[in-house]
Amino acid sequence: MTHPSSGADTAARTASPESGRHGRARFRGLRAASLLLAPVILVAACSSSGSGSSSDGSAAAGQTSAAACAPTGGKVSLQFWTWVPGMDAVVAKWNAANPDIQVTVKNTPAGNAGTYQNMFNSLKAGTAPDLGQVEYDTLSSFRLQNGLKDISGCPGVAQAKSTFVDWSWAQAQVGGPGVYAVPQDTGPMALFYRKDIFDANGIKVPATWDEYAAAAAKLKAKGIYITHFPQQDANWFNGLLWQSGAKLFETTGDSVKVSLTDPKAQQVATYWQKLIDDKLVATNLQGFSPDLYKAWNDGKVATWVSAAWGYSTIRDNAKATSGKWAVAPMPQWTAGEKAAGNWGGSTTAVLASSKHPAEAAKFALWLNSDQAALALANDKGGLYPANKDGLELPALTQGVPFYGNQKIFDTFKEASANVDTNFTWGPIMTDTNRFLSDGFTKALNGQGTLNEALQSAQTQTVSALKAQGISVAQ
Amino acid sequence: MATSLDAAAPSTSERVRRRRPWIWFMLPFLVPFVLFYLVPIAYAIYQSLFKIERTGGIFGTTQQVFAGLSQYTAVFTDETFRQGVLRVLLFGVVQVPVMLGIALVTALLLDSAVARLKRFFRIAFFVPYGIPGVIAALMWAFLYSPQLSPIVALLDKIGTAPDFLGSNLILWSIANVTTWTYTGYNMLIIFAALQALPQEIFEASRIDGAGGIRTAFSIKIPLVLPALVLTTVFSIIGTLQLFTEPVVFQTISTNVTSGYTPNMQAYAVAASNNYSFSAALSVVLAVATFILSFGFLRLTQRRGEAL
Repeated sequence: MTHPSSGADTAARTASPESGRHGRARFRGLRAASLLLAPVILVAACSSSGSGSSSDGSAAAGQTSAAACAPTGGKVSLQFWTWVPGMDAVVAKWNAANPDIQVTVKNTPAGNAGTYQNMFNSLKAGTAPDLGQVEYDTLSSFRLQNGLKDISGCPGVAQAKSTFVDWSWAQAQVGGPGVYAVPQDTGPMALFYRKDIFDANGIKVPATWDEYAAAAAKLKAKGIYITHFPQQDANWFNGLLWQSGAKLFETTGDSVKVSLTDPKAQQVATYWQKLIDDKLVATNLQGFSPDLYKAWNDGKVATWVSAAWGYSTIRDNAKATSGKWAVAPMPQWTAGEKAAGNWGGSTTAVLASSKHPAEAAKFALWLNSDQAALALANDKGGLYPANKDGLELPALTQGVPFYGNQKIFDTFKEASANVDTNFTWGPIMTDTNRFLSDGFTKALNGQGTLNEALQSAQTQTVSALKAQGISVAQ
Repeated sequence: MATSLDAAAPSTSERVRRRRPWIWFMLPFLVPFVLFYLVPIAYAIYQSLFKIERTGGIFGTTQQVFAGLSQYTAVFTDETFRQGVLRVLLFGVVQVPVMLGIALVTALLLDSAVARLKRFFRIAFFVPYGIPGVIAALMWAFLYSPQLSPIVALLDKIGTAPDFLGSNLILWSIANVTTWTYTGYNMLIIFAALQALPQEIFEASRIDGAGGIRTAFSIKIPLVLPALVLTTVFSIIGTLQLFTEPVVFQTISTNVTSGYTPNMQAYAVAASNNYSFSAALSVVLAVATFILSFGFLRLTQRRGEAL
């Protein structure tokens, strides 16, 4: 299934491996191709086989307390599923130095392109890998299926907490006292903008969202859109909500409170709805689409509020604009503040069925803390580390040629420090994001608004939570 | 097995032996049919009768409990599903007649005496069907793209180009792709039926003074009606299962939602671990397809009897 699909994917979007890793770029093409091969009934039936047996071994394993986590000793071999390009090279480094803990890498499609589904299924079948790549917003979904091992009791884990960017560790805890994954990379957000276009038109780099809207109007007069509104990238919008300080989900006791219509979220929605209504943003350019790249190359779209990893998306897909882009902090809701959102990033999770959680945790910690490993992962896979020391990598402190030798990662480093640590994902973000994207469609073609998209995602998320047997607080 | 039977009851073994060839020839079909067709369908039906219950808080343990037909109630009250079904029905009502009309006309043209290069055209029309659906959809997506398409650029120069991927047109842009893909296939079925007709009838009609068009309408079309019925049934099934093209178009258009067609919705729901609802969606879709297809068959058969 992988081969035809990755081929189709390449043809579809010629996305950089870096953006593909984040599960958005590759997601749609891959899904299209791989599912063509399997009738839906079969998919539903196969993947559900065994889902009735929630009381089997793997599920019970997820429940084990934090305390028991000692190395099993002897020669151990671990399976690791990941879609980060070049991860096999990093793992080879580990294997050479650790003859007793040998790790085998399996390269998979991006998580939402089918790998999460495979992980869920293999968890139920008891054939899951020891370690898997899991994005922050999906950790909860794994916990819902009892798919993650609590590694808080494993040697070295508790001490590692302070070495990771605060919010990333908080999210790896998935709300509980336990620790369910080791943060790998993050996507602190900033503003990529066409310095040449802004300069030529005498537009100041927007420091606030009001200035951003004013700049949008000036650019539109020149026939340029300030940005595109990507219908499929719900997590991009979530990054904007994250920056605004919106509290979308809250766990109280045994129930979840869903507040997608939080006043701050409404403020963000109203703001972008106005840009859409005034036709100041491109509404027909899908995120990571060849269309978008063409518009970038042609100078028809002048900014992108995006994550640290986005630097390579622009670099690899808008080659004609080399030297013309620059990076500035995200525009602010209140002038003078430094709030930043986050878009993407993932963790190395120890899956519930692992028989060697201590060794797996040891490897995960090394993978995401060791400077040589981080440097290699950054070089080959474009990872922007979640490890605080990793932010000092030589590659992240130098000027980047494509951006006129601006030291763009200084901006991202500052953003990383200003990402709200209290932001909480909902338990079923795959669903919530799908509902948001569906609502965006209506807003983009004038049949609804972004505020209605929030409202509809709210209603649908509540019923989807109930369908998963989760009680919802009003 | 056989030897013990031989020893125990010769008459039975004889019967088994007589039956054996039938079984052996059927096995290569029966085993995969049962394993990969009947069992998944039965399992989907079984799965659709359950729901998830959770004990011990949000991340507690889950249990599948029997829920009767409650998933089906959910399906029938689901707004996304309703819209998806209406969308594919609208799609089918327009696309199937258009496609089969073109297929019939091309088949008649190829069959007529005046056609030259029959073999070439027969293959040329069929080629789109040989192109994998994803590739075809990708190719068309580029042709529709407002930024990349040479056709859109050309239309822009001579006036205004329609927004092929906009909310008003995208369904028909998708219809165009499926028409492009399947017309040749349907044409070939009708053409084969035409080729199988005995030549004497045509001789008789020529002697009676019927021209090409008269022959086509009065003789050829009525005689290939069974082939038309067959292609219509196939097309209805294909329409309700619309999936590949809209999923590919999601990558380039902002107008395809996750529940754009019922099949896409079933997939999206399964991907978020709500298997029971997804199974119910799939079963309802399968039953609807069955009813529509067989309804159409019955309808045409009854009309055939009346004639």
